[in-house]
Amino acid sequence: MSSPAVPEWTGVALSVSLVAVAVVIAWRQHLGLAREIVIAAVRAGVQLLAVGAVLLFLFQHAGLPGGFAWLAVMVLIAGQVAGRRGAGLHHSRYVATASVAVAAAVTLGVLIVFGVVESAPRVVVPVGGMVVSGSMQATGVTLARMVAEAQGQRAVIEARLALGLSGAAAFAPHRRELLRTALIPTLDSTKVVGLISLPGAMTGLILAGVSPEVAIRYQIVVMYMLVAAAVMAALAAAELGQRMLFTPAQQLR
Amino acid sequence: MSRFDLREVTVRRDGHLIIDRITATIAPGRCTALVGPSGAGKSTLLRLFNRLDDPTSGTVLLDGAELGSLDVLALRRRVGLVGQRPVMVAATVWEELRAGAPDLAREQAIGLLGRVGLAPEMVDRPSAGLSGGEAQRVCLARTLAVGPEVLLLDEPTSALDPEAARAVEQTLGTLLGDGMTAILVSHSADQVRRMADDVLVLQGGQLVESGAVAAVEYVNRGGQA
Repeated sequence: MSSPAVPEWTGVALSVSLVAVAVVIAWRQHLGLAREIVIAAVRAGVQLLAVGAVLLFLFQHAGLPGGFAWLAVMVLIAGQVAGRRGAGLHHSRYVATASVAVAAAVTLGVLIVFGVVESAPRVVVPVGGMVVSGSMQATGVTLARMVAEAQGQRAVIEARLALGLSGAAAFAPHRRELLRTALIPTLDSTKVVGLISLPGAMTGLILAGVSPEVAIRYQIVVMYMLVAAAVMAALAAAELGQRMLFTPAQQLR
Repeated sequence: MSRFDLREVTVRRDGHLIIDRITATIAPGRCTALVGPSGAGKSTLLRLFNRLDDPTSGTVLLDGAELGSLDVLALRRRVGLVGQRPVMVAATVWEELRAGAPDLAREQAIGLLGRVGLAPEMVDRPSAGLSGGEAQRVCLARTLAVGPEVLLLDEPTSALDPEAARAVEQTLGTLLGDGMTAILVSHSADQVRRMADDVLVLQGGQLVESGAVAAVEYVNRGGQA
């Protein structure tokens, strides 16, 4: 897939001059950011080189099992990050990991089973990465809202429990609200896609010389996939998280 | 029936001993007051009777059955709770009354409002616009809608102005006069004398005195330790 639009390594080296310009400006203006810019740029370069090396190895040697193993690692990391948003919830990291895993498995599974995307590591890893990332965000927001709601509305929830309602019924009105809150960012960005932002997958394909018509087809699949992943992750997090809010004796933890 | 037995009930929270091996009986058909200084463990003890909390050790029995062996949702319908401050859970009075009794008919709702001394037209009022006294009576009616045998009353008038407090207490007095079992947490010795039949005095998580209201020293001293 060599195309004139893709920079050579010399081009990459030359792009370092852009960072140099930023550093000089920051230094001349006494912004105290020069060091940070250098660190950020070096970090980004090193991380991407490392990921590139891992992907190269995966695509050439590890095959599909390797690709799925890499995805599993992503799910574990995403579960830790989203779980931290739900700190205070019983077993929040397990809940987050399970939610991301369910959303990623279902979304990616459907795409592969219907042959919408190819089941090769070259496709599964980046597409899976997008799904995991979208699921992680939705899970994190859902759990953070859930903890805030359970703490802030403790008296109301316990008043319902005292009337003989189950934990699920006592929390139902709050659950509706927090799911709406968790999904609004994804739905809003889906509504304005192409109008306000040209999304990453499409931008990348066009830069790599693919025709916009093909890029758009890919982007539509990506958008729908991200909506599905976010909705499923938020629902799974709400369902599993809510069980953790209450003891088996329907007491608010 | 509705007789509660506490056996060696202990509650620890975050390493602190809140309730210390209390053994006592709550007689059916009577109003038992839990009294004592702030932090004595009265409200914590009250939450054990409908299992909003469980004891760390010891057992609570209702008519001889351990609470843990009963269906907890059914238990909470038998043992209703009215809290210190009125907490609204729905948008209108009508929805409040149906929160725990979804099949409640409008006529029954109006009947319940009458039982707590509120006018029939209150049924369509938004919950947000109620005064403290009205809201507390709606909370009481909401609890009664479920049809409890026992009422847990956690300082039900302490957050109200004197006039509203008197009205709520009058309503409760009528209910208790009908022979409903009640457990009342109260700071006011006067209120305890007016409403309670029996008294348990708690201090530092321990049961220090108990008996019929007229015989309990703590109440006769006006609630002073």
